[in-house]
Amino acid sequence: MLLLEAFFAPFFRRYFYYFDSYPLVIQIAIFLTVVAIVSTVIAYASILYRRYRGSRHDKKIARINPLLDEILTESIILNDDLAEGKPVEEIPLPLEKFDRPRFKTPFARQAIIERLIHYRKNFSGDIGLLLRKLYIELGLEKESFGKLKSFKWDRKVKSLIELTAMDMSIADVNILPLTNSKNRELRAEARHAYIKLSKNEPFKFFDVVSEPLLMWDQLELFKIITTTKDISIPNFARWVTYSSNKSVVAFCLKLIVHYNQQEAVPSIIKLLDNKDHYLRSNAINALGKLKADEAEDKLVQIYSSQPLDCQLEILKAIGRMGTGKNLTFLRQEFLRSSDFDIRKNAAKSIISHKQHSEEMLGELLDTATAENKLILKHCMNPLIKY
Amino acid sequence: MEETIWEHVQDFFEGAVFVYGTTLLVVYALLAIMSLIAITRFKRREKNIDDEKMLGSPIAPGISVIAPAFNEGLTIIGNVRSLLTLNYPHFEIIIVNDGSSDDTLEQMIVEFELVKVDFAFSARIKTQPVRGVYKSTNSAYSKLLVIDKVNGKSKADAVNAAINIATFNYFLCTDVDCILEKNTLLKLIKPVMSEEKKRVIATGATLRMVNSCDVDEGVITRVRPPRQILPRFQEMEYLRAFVLGKMGWSWINCVPNVSGGLGLFDKEVAIKAGGYDHKSFGEDMELMTRMVRYAYDNKIDYAIRYIPITLCWTEGPSTVKIFMRQRTRWSRGLSQLMFAHIKMLFNPRYGRMGLIVFPYNFFFELLAPIIEFLGVIYYIVLICLGMINWHFAILLLIFVYTYSIMISTTAILWDQITFRYYKSWKEVASLCVMPFYEMILYHPMIMVFALRGYYYFLTGKKHTWGNMQRKGFNTTAAKMATANNNNTQAVK
Repeated sequence: MLLLEAFFAPFFRRYFYYFDSYPLVIQIAIFLTVVAIVSTVIAYASILYRRYRGSRHDKKIARINPLLDEILTESIILNDDLAEGKPVEEIPLPLEKFDRPRFKTPFARQAIIERLIHYRKNFSGDIGLLLRKLYIELGLEKESFGKLKSFKWDRKVKSLIELTAMDMSIADVNILPLTNSKNRELRAEARHAYIKLSKNEPFKFFDVVSEPLLMWDQLELFKIITTTKDISIPNFARWVTYSSNKSVVAFCLKLIVHYNQQEAVPSIIKLLDNKDHYLRSNAINALGKLKADEAEDKLVQIYSSQPLDCQLEILKAIGRMGTGKNLTFLRQEFLRSSDFDIRKNAAKSIISHKQHSEEMLGELLDTATAENKLILKHCMNPLIKY
Repeated sequence: MEETIWEHVQDFFEGAVFVYGTTLLVVYALLAIMSLIAITRFKRREKNIDDEKMLGSPIAPGISVIAPAFNEGLTIIGNVRSLLTLNYPHFEIIIVNDGSSDDTLEQMIVEFELVKVDFAFSARIKTQPVRGVYKSTNSAYSKLLVIDKVNGKSKADAVNAAINIATFNYFLCTDVDCILEKNTLLKLIKPVMSEEKKRVIATGATLRMVNSCDVDEGVITRVRPPRQILPRFQEMEYLRAFVLGKMGWSWINCVPNVSGGLGLFDKEVAIKAGGYDHKSFGEDMELMTRMVRYAYDNKIDYAIRYIPITLCWTEGPSTVKIFMRQRTRWSRGLSQLMFAHIKMLFNPRYGRMGLIVFPYNFFFELLAPIIEFLGVIYYIVLICLGMINWHFAILLLIFVYTYSIMISTTAILWDQITFRYYKSWKEVASLCVMPFYEMILYHPMIMVFALRGYYYFLTGKKHTWGNMQRKGFNTTAAKMATANNNNTQAVK
């Protein structure tokens, strides 16, 4: 209201002769009409400006990238010294080709970094190393490290992505605190970078992680761990046993399964006594996938005291182990349970026993109720995966 | 001076409309600010991150994609092929043939080499009987599962049948003729997996009109705003509703509805809430309300999230007749929903849903057409009685007109900030002119169709979900569709 009286009222008085005699509602409406018109014009201008800026950016990239492609193809990919088998460290790079005003602007230097990253994703081995050498010799790593000091989290993320792509080592003191950052994106990227860049203990941050590993973080970490070359894979049982972070334990169980770490089985069996049913069901799942038949009897023993998710995992695990020791138990669950999912999983596990269960399967098909017979046929059909 | 009863009524009505209008304008302004914050955050988060590298992950949660089909014989093959192009490590596609009277099922059987299988499932939600379940003998279509069921006279019944059969813990509900962006599943599951404390029970994204876009083999190759006026109005309306409205609501976890055209849901909560209501005409909003209600009743700290990027393209009605049918159904659904869940209104037990979402829907969605209609009548009466102050009336009209243009233009700007979907500025300009005509051409239609829906709700007129008479995306298919539609109408 003060704003209206102090700034806008004189303006309106000049152009609307009767402004002061208008009711307050009308005065406000006139004021807001002007605000709406001005805002709409600003919105149009912003749309135009954004489009202009975007198309200018696209044009600049379209101009610079072919030049970079030409230089990189000639000097790196088709490098004669590299073809002759000369060590990468001894190959001189044609830095003078980048010594043009066009390549010296901040925009161009960022474009070079991004093009180098693009090429490094597509070329490994000596070509990848030569691209890295060019990145260093052009002093681009200084720019990437500079971003790491920024106050803005998204610049830090960009820096970590660039340094990781170029395989530049970052001191633990700089990166470890970021693995526990409050910002989710920065935290995740720092963890990725740590795993990729730390040569000795890439999983050290598992010891210090205080925030939970979100499902998406786990997805990303799993992808990075399982696709990074030359990474020393530890025995993940260490965290299964000692970590107090539930999400770290669950994640390590997935990694144990992926790397088929049989030596972790005793630690996983201990988890069966954990009070958290989420962790128990993850542990049972891992035991099944590892075909840890030494745990089979214990699974059957604890079955009746478990919640539904754990019971289903136990049935699946027995099927995966496929020893035939507990076929009667599976049969009993299939015939007696009133829960559909239990019957379906028991049936699946009976079928996955193959030759062990042939006779039982025949008998069940002859004697089962119509619904149970349908479940058996469903599970036996190779076209149905689940 | 002693006032007459008429003057009291007049004062009350004018005062109430003033408060109502002011509140609505303030809400729009707040939504614009909140959506900008949400979009900016989303953009900053996504700027440097390449989600596509997650596509090969074996630990990604599975998703069941559900698409019901009723008499879609003209386009069904292209539609299913389009869904099969989705890019995600772990998913299945469930097409529900909801008792089509044309050859929808037969075409799928031939094209995708389907055979009937003995399929066991637990019918946790009651639906019309399932006649058969089909799987492909060709491993290229191993992700496809087709359900043939007795027509349930609603999309809700068809989707419920698919939920009963769905394997995975999350399901994505769409319409079979919608075109989804290839990374839709990854983009929609991300908010679920990235949530730190809450359980995300549903996620959605922006929908756009496919009408004038270029489509090749079920994939959008060039985005354009619709050339026809009516779908272009709808494109603008969708942008306002999704990019400005739902993003703003999402920022304060008050999303009122996840669109039936594209939504990812937590299957367990959806089943426990009772699934879609087959009697509802606004089944998507109805389910969302019950899921939220279930979450509050069971003390689940839930969240519903929206993302501003466009992941789904749908064909908007291009004739007034079909458009009227669609909007009548929507408003009927809204009145049904409000009537069924009126206890939630201002009920603190339902937190934000009871104190923000429901009151907003009640006053500014349900009552808006009625108040508008009364306003028009009131205006006419005042004109007839010569009681109108033309000077002020015109000033107020100009204010409302410019304000509505500002809000719609802001939505277009927010969309441009999200992503430059249109290639040329001329295409953006063609959308920017629509707000100028909206108040005169489009808005009155919506108001009348909404009132029609309320009337049908009150009188209980029978209504079926019927065929939307789509034109299709593929040029050849579109021509065939038009020809066949004409033939069918001629026979009738």
